[in-house]
Amino acid sequence: MRIACPFCGERENGEFTYLGDASPKRPNFAVDSGESPGGVEDAFYDYVYLRDNVAGYMREYWYHGGGCRSWLIAERNTVTHEFRSVTAAPGVGAAKPVQAGE
Amino acid sequence: MVDYLWNTQSPLQKALVPGRHGAAGAHAGVTLNEVRDIVLVQVMARRGKAAETGKAAKKLFGVEAPATPKAVIGKTATLIWSGPDQFTVIAPRTDEASQLAAMAQVFAGSASLSDQSDGRCLIRVSGPRGRDAIAKFSSLDLHDLAFPVGAAANTSVDHTAVNLWREANGADGHPVYNMLVFTSFSDSLWHTIVDSSLEYGVEAASARAA
Repeated sequence: MRIACPFCGERENGEFTYLGDASPKRPNFAVDSGESPGGVEDAFYDYVYLRDNVAGYMREYWYHGGGCRSWLIAERNTVTHEFRSVTAAPGVGAAKPVQAGE
Repeated sequence: MVDYLWNTQSPLQKALVPGRHGAAGAHAGVTLNEVRDIVLVQVMARRGKAAETGKAAKKLFGVEAPATPKAVIGKTATLIWSGPDQFTVIAPRTDEASQLAAMAQVFAGSASLSDQSDGRCLIRVSGPRGRDAIAKFSSLDLHDLAFPVGAAANTSVDHTAVNLWREANGADGHPVYNMLVFTSFSDSLWHTIVDSSLEYGVEAASARAA
């Protein structure tokens, strides 16, 4: 399997580390805004533990530790391992035009 | 209290055995050099300051800092891309303190500098079969079309980070590759390169950066 890093070009997958689903967003609660403690807990439980088991295209975090040391967001088909797109994760290389939307 | 004496020595002090190794023949297929006495500085643009860092580099070295994996030759140093908004400056060591001071002055406010002069080891691979030797342990495509003169890459060799770039062909017309590796891994990488080169015959030496 080869992954096309937006900075380095195509490289073998041994240079990359897989983190997982890029879609969970950290819940953002204002302090003392009257949220029920149970609701906050449920939202964090979901964020930390619950994952979808997608059969098909999935947005994932990958880390190019063996190369440019950038965090990337890849759209990968979990059935065929086809990569549809690989872009820089937000915050990587401020000057880069190609950034995955968040 | 015991007084300690600190002697500076090459990380390849033991591994590098100068001379001819491996296959005999009129000409060695691979020429291996440890390039000593370098000044090496990692330049990382601060958040949102990539353009200013580029201008500072232009002011000091007379060339644009590489924004893609390339090595560009400036007035007094070579600038090698090492990641988004990052590059490594490499120069022969003349007066290290003033070389570093000049950089600190011009990049003040736009980039963070990190002196890596004694942290990395530079190994140069050349000769008619140099590329074949590298192909045994690197997954990069080093064909002329994919990796021409001036190309650079951050890659892994045996799980070890290596900055690899290609400079102008040698006097023999064959490609010349530079590999920058952490000093503590240089011994291991050196043995890997020598082992890969033995079947072609290898000439090993160390040289001062020029």
